[in-house]
Amino acid sequence: MATAGLEASAVDELRAICGHDYVFTGKSARYNRARVPAPFPLHRWADHVPDAVVLPQTAQQISEVVKLANRYRIPVVPRAGGTGLTDGAVPLRHGILVDVKLMNRILELDLEDRTVTVQPGISMLKLNEELKKHGVIYPDNPASYPCSLVGGRIGTSGWSLIGARYGHTRDLVISFQIVLPTGELIEVGDGGGRKVRKSSTGYQLKHLFMGHQGTLGIVTEATLELVPRPEAEFSAFFTYPDYMTAWRSTGALAKSGVATLAGVVLFDERKLDYLRRDDEAYIPQPPEVKAVTATAMYGNADEVRVGAKRLLKIGLDSGGSYLGDEISQGDWASRHDRYATPQHGRTRSGQVALMSWHCEDASIPWTALPKVREEWHAIADRLIQRFDMFDDWGMFAYTNGAYKPWADYLTEIDIGIWEMQWDDESWTAWVEAKRDIAAVAIAHGGSISACHGACREGEVDLVPLELGGGFDVMKKIKRALDPNNIMNPGKYLLDQAYEKEEVEE
Amino acid sequence: MGAGAPSGTSGPSTLTPEFLAEWRNAAYNCYSSGHKFCREVCPVMQVTRDESHTPTAFHANVVAMEGGHLSIEDVASDYVHCTQCGACELRCPNTLFTGDFYRFRTRTVDLVKAMRTLAVDSGIEQPQWKEWNELTERFRSEPVLNGTPVSQDTVAAWATGLDLPVGGETILFCDCEAAFYRTSLPRAVARILQHASVEFGLMREQWCCGGPAAEMGYAEQARRFAEHNVADWRAAGAKRIIVLDPHDYITFTEDYPRYFGEEFDFEIVLMVELVAELVREGKLELTVPIERVATYHDACRLNKRKGIHEAPREILRAIPGLTFKDVDHVTQWSYCSGAGAGFAIERPEIAAEIARRRVEKAAELEIDTLVSACVWSERPLTEQGAGRQQPIEVVDLMELVAQAAGLEAD
Repeated sequence: MATAGLEASAVDELRAICGHDYVFTGKSARYNRARVPAPFPLHRWADHVPDAVVLPQTAQQISEVVKLANRYRIPVVPRAGGTGLTDGAVPLRHGILVDVKLMNRILELDLEDRTVTVQPGISMLKLNEELKKHGVIYPDNPASYPCSLVGGRIGTSGWSLIGARYGHTRDLVISFQIVLPTGELIEVGDGGGRKVRKSSTGYQLKHLFMGHQGTLGIVTEATLELVPRPEAEFSAFFTYPDYMTAWRSTGALAKSGVATLAGVVLFDERKLDYLRRDDEAYIPQPPEVKAVTATAMYGNADEVRVGAKRLLKIGLDSGGSYLGDEISQGDWASRHDRYATPQHGRTRSGQVALMSWHCEDASIPWTALPKVREEWHAIADRLIQRFDMFDDWGMFAYTNGAYKPWADYLTEIDIGIWEMQWDDESWTAWVEAKRDIAAVAIAHGGSISACHGACREGEVDLVPLELGGGFDVMKKIKRALDPNNIMNPGKYLLDQAYEKEEVEE
Repeated sequence: MGAGAPSGTSGPSTLTPEFLAEWRNAAYNCYSSGHKFCREVCPVMQVTRDESHTPTAFHANVVAMEGGHLSIEDVASDYVHCTQCGACELRCPNTLFTGDFYRFRTRTVDLVKAMRTLAVDSGIEQPQWKEWNELTERFRSEPVLNGTPVSQDTVAAWATGLDLPVGGETILFCDCEAAFYRTSLPRAVARILQHASVEFGLMREQWCCGGPAAEMGYAEQARRFAEHNVADWRAAGAKRIIVLDPHDYITFTEDYPRYFGEEFDFEIVLMVELVAELVREGKLELTVPIERVATYHDACRLNKRKGIHEAPREILRAIPGLTFKDVDHVTQWSYCSGAGAGFAIERPEIAAEIARRRVEKAAELEIDTLVSACVWSERPLTEQGAGRQQPIEVVDLMELVAQAAGLEAD
């Protein structure tokens, strides 16, 4: 079992590996890498502080750090952007935090075989600033597009806002190099060749290391897909008099089969109420508007033009009113900035309170969306009634399947939390509510998480229920690859893999 | 050191109630947002990639300090890592989308200044800043000549032979870097004003504006310098002050009004805006072709802090012969020369790398000239531009204007 706290000799060795200037043991360096934007138990900040922070610059250094950690039995927590929402980068047992932000170079741009090879610390924004000069882009487009990093996208198996058209992180990362929990450096892809998109050789290991939340190693290099920079973008927003009409319309749009369709997003009434809280919001719409559906398309101009006509017809025929070009284009363009506004937090009496945004995300089949919506809002309402520090910021449902957006939806309920008010009682109630939300998702044939991962307190308790025998396989893999439980211990209930009965099994 | 188990979890806050009253909500607003969109526009963070150097950390530290987790000793050196360019404030969703509605604006620059002041007032000084401000105190101007002392005797030496009066209703304030180092700039400015028949004089005894001291946390010194300059202006009968440097412009339009309140009734005129107006009104004709291929470096304190980006472009487009390859001002939010807020004094290597990257961006445009309107940016950018295989010359916009107006350089 790994221990908390570092011996002086371990710190000296880290400095020998990474360089003196790239190992931090000061308090501010450690406290500022204890949390991510997800709700954080502020009253227990010190529980999550790493013992040391390293900023390596090479895969070899990371390998050496991990080997050292095995020798000393020190936990290792990888951190890329620190923008994830399931606490993957939050240390649960202190230890060495490996921050990969300094590894942010583009290593190779191959315009012939259409790949770009990068280090894990680069953001999609910065990468695309370079790529667009060459007429290509890397189309991984999360809400955190300006700040999340490639390494974290792999660690969480991220989800892209335009994934219906271009795929999500797992579809866009062709292969990568990863330091295993025992320090070996390997290359994983669909098969062997670093730039091969489809292979039938051996196990599909790429997917094993997608979304591992730092429990199976640290990605040190990734080879990514390049797509032509789209000539045209089209976005259309529709309004509806009731949720059920909007839900049916969303289904019709998503099932249209239009190849350039990048996504369909359904906003429910409480989401509209939230967005109407300031007068700059794009929804200065009359109160009879009870739901909105947004669509976006990308591609060659001639393809988008005809696709747009079809989408507009479907939207109108299924009961929607078009919101107009200006609002449609403007709001879609601001999609990365709009997703949370602390000042929109309200207490029960309507007072402004600075609230953090918690997004509980699940994969839900289209048919179950109305029922899940009712049940989730009821959970949020019960929480709000008990503690005047929570606020229901409404729900979104986004088409979820890469290239096949017609069935399941990334469904999120956004809950504002006045984090200055945390105490043990409210934190416990919150964790229970998250567990309840996850249970609803599973009960309706869904999955706890579509994009963040499912290793936070509360929801993680239900991972064995969701995965069944698959969770037993996870434990066996974890124990086989990480015999000393070095990599991000405590996450995903994987400590169970090291319990006596599991080991003797 | 042996780090041991994490410690320092329950100490008393080192922040005063007054400090918390000003910064608590702002800190929680950032803490609660967690977007971190500010990060990739930050010139310092782009180089160091250190999360302790982010606006997120700068705000979260207030939360941690209030909780007794961190003290000013723990964080003081982190706050060195800021050029006070203001990019993060613009990129903050709390400012961008709901700022007007809630009358809230993210003020990272002011927070950094407040923390630096708290550090100095707590006896935690950065060695280079300490020396810089001691020398400024002694010589009344910043020690910009790398060891060669500056002096009150020579503060107006740049104006030799220009026959400029002292005093009058309009005063030209000449920044320290311009007065002692890049004297070609104030000479160009003076010639333009004379040529356009703008009456102006110099101060009787000009001291540093005090802005840099305020930026580095030496608030008391900054205030004293301000009081001297304002007294000098009043004694000279001044009503309006022309400034040729964006840093002074910030000091006179933000710091001085804060110090003196409504009593501060001077009109502060930015030279770049004045020239744009003169050109627009036909009072200054630019007729001499300048055969250069140039791009413009948006000075952070004009573009990001003051929203001034049109006037310099308007002037550049009015210069005959000039091929102007523009990069829009929003793209330039993430550009900086590294020269601001004393950063280059205390962290010269990181600052030089920021300047190198800025010049690299310019080089991609295949230009021969990088035009700036900030004298502080011109030395670091020149150093990087000159060292290139295909050198890029850095010139001040006013120097180009003087040339295009047919005014003789020295």
